[in-house]
Amino acid sequence: MCDIKEEPKFFNRPYCKISKISRRSTRTVLTHISQCVMVSNAVLVAIILVLITTALFTIRTTSSGLIPVSNASKVTNKQPTFIIAGPSESGKTSLFTLLTSDSLRPSVTSLEPNVAHDFKIPITTKTFTGRLIEFPGHLKLRNKLFETLQNSSNIKGLIFVVDATVDPKELTSTAEFLFEILQVTERFPNGVDILIACNKSESFTARPPLKIRSALEKEIERIIIRRQKSLETVNGAEKTDDDGNLQDEPQVFNLGLKDGFKFESLEGNIDAVEGSVIKKNIDRWECWMDERTVN
Amino acid sequence: MLEQFVVFTSGGQVVYQFNCLGKKFAETQINRFISHLLSSPTIHNEDSSRKYRIVEIAGNSNTSGGNKAQSRGFCSMYHVSRRPELYYVVTYAEQSLQLNQEAEETLQVGINLWESLGLSEGVLDNINGKGSRNERNCIDVLTDLEEELEKFDQYLKIKYEEILSRDNENSSSSIGKVDSKKKPREAKGKKQQQQQQGGGRKWGRDGTMEEINAQDSKALDFSENNQQAGGSMGQIDKDSFGKRTNQGDFLIKEIDDLLSAQKESYQSNEDKGTSAFGFLRKHLLGNKTITETDLKSVLDKLKQKLITKNVAPEAAEFLCKQVSLDLVGSKTASWTSVENTARESLTKSLTQILTPGVSVDLLHEIQQKAETRDAQGLKQPYVFSVVGVNGVGKSTNLSKLAFWLLQNNLRVLVVASDTFRSGAVEQLRVHVENLAELTDESHIRGSKNRRDKTGNDHVELFEAGYGGSDLVTKIAKQAIKYAKEQEFDIVLMDTAGRRHNDPTLMSPLKSFAEQAKPDKIIMVGEALVGTDSVQQAKNFNEAFGRVRNLDFFIISKCDTVGEMLGTMVNMVYATGIPILFVGVGQTYTDLRVLSVNWAVNILVS
Ligand SMILES: Nc1nc2c(ncn2[C@@H]2O[C@H](COP(=O)(O)OP(=O)(O)OP(=O)(O)O)[C@@H](O)[C@H]2O)c(=O)[nH]1
Ligand SMILES: Nc1nc2c(ncn2[C@@H]2O[C@H](COP(=O)(O)OP(=O)(O)OP(=O)(O)O)[C@@H](O)[C@H]2O)c(=O)[nH]1
Ligand SMILES: [Mg+2]
Ligand SMILES: [Mg+2]
Repeated sequence: MCDIKEEPKFFNRPYCKISKISRRSTRTVLTHISQCVMVSNAVLVAIILVLITTALFTIRTTSSGLIPVSNASKVTNKQPTFIIAGPSESGKTSLFTLLTSDSLRPSVTSLEPNVAHDFKIPITTKTFTGRLIEFPGHLKLRNKLFETLQNSSNIKGLIFVVDATVDPKELTSTAEFLFEILQVTERFPNGVDILIACNKSESFTARPPLKIRSALEKEIERIIIRRQKSLETVNGAEKTDDDGNLQDEPQVFNLGLKDGFKFESLEGNIDAVEGSVIKKNIDRWECWMDERTVN
Repeated sequence: MLEQFVVFTSGGQVVYQFNCLGKKFAETQINRFISHLLSSPTIHNEDSSRKYRIVEIAGNSNTSGGNKAQSRGFCSMYHVSRRPELYYVVTYAEQSLQLNQEAEETLQVGINLWESLGLSEGVLDNINGKGSRNERNCIDVLTDLEEELEKFDQYLKIKYEEILSRDNENSSSSIGKVDSKKKPREAKGKKQQQQQQGGGRKWGRDGTMEEINAQDSKALDFSENNQQAGGSMGQIDKDSFGKRTNQGDFLIKEIDDLLSAQKESYQSNEDKGTSAFGFLRKHLLGNKTITETDLKSVLDKLKQKLITKNVAPEAAEFLCKQVSLDLVGSKTASWTSVENTARESLTKSLTQILTPGVSVDLLHEIQQKAETRDAQGLKQPYVFSVVGVNGVGKSTNLSKLAFWLLQNNLRVLVVASDTFRSGAVEQLRVHVENLAELTDESHIRGSKNRRDKTGNDHVELFEAGYGGSDLVTKIAKQAIKYAKEQEFDIVLMDTAGRRHNDPTLMSPLKSFAEQAKPDKIIMVGEALVGTDSVQQAKNFNEAFGRVRNLDFFIISKCDTVGEMLGTMVNMVYATGIPILFVGVGQTYTDLRVLSVNWAVNILVS
């Protein structure tokens, strides 16, 4: 609870969504000044006067604490964050819209993440706000998710939305995606809690969450076995052999083939819960989020 | 008649949608458009005579995936605005002069209306956190824009009707054809708009012909359609407004005023920009917009660097254009960081290009195929064939692949279907001997296995000497039959190297692929080749006809080029086909899975 109290200070800033402006620093202002003087000699005097005021103004805005967001590769995201991820077409954007605006709206394939900066966690503590980021599911666009996962230090939970109407036999690519997420999240000291949000449960073809969970578990086991057999990934190891290259992913799961892969043995908790965005039936997912904000 | 008009954010939230046919909004169509954009970002070449880009999405005829629905082809015209990032998309059945025209006009009107009603600004403000917050403390993209949206909807539909009716009138030649197709659909669309018009539209259809004859005798027109307001708007009213009369006129005037006001305000905005205060605001308060000129020197430098890394000028140009699209108009980066911002943006585009759009898990696919049986109940082998230009490393990398598969306890049949180059069969024989030795230490070189073939029980060579391209397809078919009978898991077909610009050598590939029906066609390209790789990849990809593409690339000899990995970009740029493996040496273990991050880092460093 103690660190929760601190957070609102960060969040209630009026401009924190204008992420990129924040990159502007005093240094930048100085460059602008010199450049400015060079270009417009005509209004020089006037300019210098206004300059000082504006420079001051800029500095003030900066120190009022704008946070860079898009600079993901360098900046660590320290905000309490909930992440929505999952395969394409599973209903992530719909869920995001429902969570942030309490409404339903048609959606098409996402190309960029959707972000809500000061998202109030639905049910309990009024004081708790955090960031909610929803990532596109398309294979070509997953990089940003992994980057963000790597650079965030306070992930409260990850909602992995799956389409419950998909035949469990065809969950291979979904399992692969989840596996890749786990490879990042399980490197955190306590892992990250993951909710397998089995969406579209209103449909009569929807599978029960436990079935989906165990199908994913089995599928991940197979993937691990295959990965162990697959070719190595090229990553410059040819040149820097003993350099402990940060890029190559250490094998996180040492699968004892005897007992197989189990979600229970992971650091993070993996829960599977059904829901339906279209029917606005996501109470149990909200509860799950709510629980993560407390501890 | 268009099909849909949609405006959506890059996050995938549809902020406006209009189904011109009066049906339910079909996301799937738009999703197919987006997925096309994603999987082949480079292929829709620009036709500079057009205002907006057009993408044709082919109907997919293969029903093997299980879902037979939604395979109709269609066409879309689109525009992307950057601040805020919004996609304006119009879809229609197929390209024709009239439809392209209709789409272009509608798209333009849509974009202008969107701007002039302040929707762009409103959305941008909401994204930037200036809107009012709801009980979730969030700002939805559409917060406080309901009224404008409603107006937009109304205005757009009116303008669209206007465009439709004018076009119908103008194109007397195509009317017959278009008419017959459109009638039922339009009647539907009409119903939604104005119930009384249900029959009116039909009249409009037949009437269009009349109108053309009657153009110089407007009086007649009026009498037939007595409620018309006539005047300059006569043509529109006749066709679509009917009873809307005065109000319709009024609205159109209002819309047109709005649209022309928009143009003026653009100009006055520019004026403002030149005043001293505007200048200061732009440069000091962070409102400075990156312009093309700002970026030019940076991009030139980046482009040069890419080219020194063997990226073809064409591909480098494309990448820089992506960066400039991404950044021009952005207010974020300042002078000091333009270069880094550009590099970041370049990293993003490169990553997106090189990342495969489909997941390729070969072992999984092989396992799956092994579970199926053919008509005779025989186990089906998984068939690879390897193609490419002469000397790039086809045979070598095929052997590496064989080695990896052998390590996974799969039984591999290597087929010598390079029947052209002298020594090719002998070369493969050496590889098979080596592989046999590696899998089984007791193997004696030169000995035959129990089927009296080169190799052992795990790996075997299928050979039939030298000959023309008839022999190639014959060998391919025989080999597959043999592999089935002998229960091989994998068939690897080597093919002769051929120059990509020689049609007589390239054309047999098509029949080869049709006969052998390989599960995967792999093209090997060497990292050394440079600029020519664009054309190589293109020609090989097209050699298999319309229904078959390459499946992936192996880029060989990466160990010999250091940082000059440009060939990878070129080949993917040219085709949209992913790279799966890279060859990094001459031994059997020198095959690696490509790491996109690794390649991108080297390319931008
Ligand atoms: N039947 C049903 N359909 C749903 C439900 N939730 C979402 N959908 C539909 O699923 C489709 C995909 O939803 P999106 O939210 O766009 O999917 P996404 O996960 O964001 O997909 P990408 O952006 O491609 O990664 C839409 O057509 C939604 O209408 C649900 O609870 N039930
Ligand atoms: N350094 C290096 N050499 C390679 C690599 N791959 C292939 N080679 C070499 O390239 C040369 C040509 O290889 P082949 O496999 O015979 O090429 P090919 O495409 O089959 O040639 P043709 O059948 O004549 O068209 C051989 O000397 C290989 O050792 C690689 O990844 N790295
Ligand atoms: Mg989405
Ligand atoms: Mg060869």
